[in-house]
Amino acid sequence: MKKIAILLTLAATVAVVFGAQGQRRAQRRADEATAAWKYEIEYARTGGNNMLLVKVWSYAEKPEIATSQATKNAVHGVLFKGYTSSGAGTISQRPLVQEPDAATRHQAFFDEFFGEGGDYMKYVSATVDGSTSVVKVGKKEYKAGVVVTVNKDLLRSDLEAAGIIRGLGSGF
Amino acid sequence: MKKTTLFALALLVAASAFGQAKKPTLMVVPSDNWCSQNGYMMEFDNMGSTTRIPDYTLAIQDDPDLINVVSKINILMADRGFPLKDLDAETKNLARSRAEASMMTSRSTGGEVSVSPIQQLRDQARADIIMQITWKVNVTGPKRSITYNLQGLDSYTNKQVAGAQGTGAQSFSAEVPVLLEEAVMAHMDNFSDQLQRHFDDLLTNGREISISLRMFDTSDVDFETSYGDEELLDIIDNWMEANTVEGRYSLSDSSYDYMDFEQVRIPVYNERGQAMDANRFARELRSFLSRAPYNIPCRVENQGLGQAMIILGEK
Repeated sequence: MKKIAILLTLAATVAVVFGAQGQRRAQRRADEATAAWKYEIEYARTGGNNMLLVKVWSYAEKPEIATSQATKNAVHGVLFKGYTSSGAGTISQRPLVQEPDAATRHQAFFDEFFGEGGDYMKYVSATVDGSTSVVKVGKKEYKAGVVVTVNKDLLRSDLEAAGIIRGLGSGF
Repeated sequence: MKKTTLFALALLVAASAFGQAKKPTLMVVPSDNWCSQNGYMMEFDNMGSTTRIPDYTLAIQDDPDLINVVSKINILMADRGFPLKDLDAETKNLARSRAEASMMTSRSTGGEVSVSPIQQLRDQARADIIMQITWKVNVTGPKRSITYNLQGLDSYTNKQVAGAQGTGAQSFSAEVPVLLEEAVMAHMDNFSDQLQRHFDDLLTNGREISISLRMFDTSDVDFETSYGDEELLDIIDNWMEANTVEGRYSLSDSSYDYMDFEQVRIPVYNERGQAMDANRFARELRSFLSRAPYNIPCRVENQGLGQAMIILGEK
């Protein structure tokens, strides 16, 4: 009886450890996908107070990670990718970071910015409930589309203050 | 020792003041098209022909949407560290200046200060960059949308240096001011990006202006008159080469009695730290021509921030 209890405890511990490792691995792969620009971003609608509402499609091994990764991808997309207008009533947005080598020049800054609990979270004020759609696109891959609100003005002014991007009056 | 330190400090302050370029001034105005569509034009007799010019004062007083749009753009630009000249405040200042000018009379002759209609037009919107807005409310059944156009025009060249335009999404319920606010916000980033590229170009390559040179028919010289081995045309051409940023200018056309320079890139500030415009640049050329060995009397006609004409032969 005692042996069975020990075995069960061991099995549970192994399951928890492997489960956590699996989760971390899935999260790491999702982060790698973000760094490799493996997501899609598009205009959703215009928000109040100069907020951007974007729809982000993220890829991950687990649907919940694909969904949670959307906030990081939204900020990454607004910074580096931008999006084009897809027809009447939609608006294109150029990326805030214009210099092509900015990501490598400020790598340490962006590693910390997009790291676990990084500052990027400050600029994503909400994900709009009920807007998430998850699609299985491979044997072990999910694609989740989430509408995210990005505080673009605050993001821009903070990056200007940090010297990552140039302000309009920076040359004067 | 104390004096030396104070002198060094004063030099440092002066150097930093001149080393930093002043920001260009920007102002938002409604476009001529919008003013015409909405009945905010005034007419004056320009030597026999009727000329229509926008009446910004009336537009600001009458149209609440215009105030909202101008105010929103002002706020967004101020957020970017670029506060704008306010059209409302400028028109009020102008009205006060005109009222003061109309009260002035000459002490000896009793003559009045004259302000030509052309000068009135120039006075209405004086800024380095004019941000010209146009919008139109589109109505399709119960749905409304806004077509919005924002143009950034360089007052020196009248070239469009930034622009953003588009038609917003149709809405059943949103009111026009809300749709307008959305349109302003949606297009401001793209506009600012283009403006920044223009500023970068300005700081690197200088301001772009045009200079024309003409000759009074009573003049003793023309552009083919020789001074030593060179004709006057070549001497002026060499002066332009030496005084433009990296020798950037184009002599677009010339003859014995005229020279037209275009795409002349002048430094943003001269050696004394004064902001340069076409008039100041032309006065420097006039000063060069009126000195020995040329001793040519010249007159500079100001034609706006970015254009000037020098007439040789008489003062």
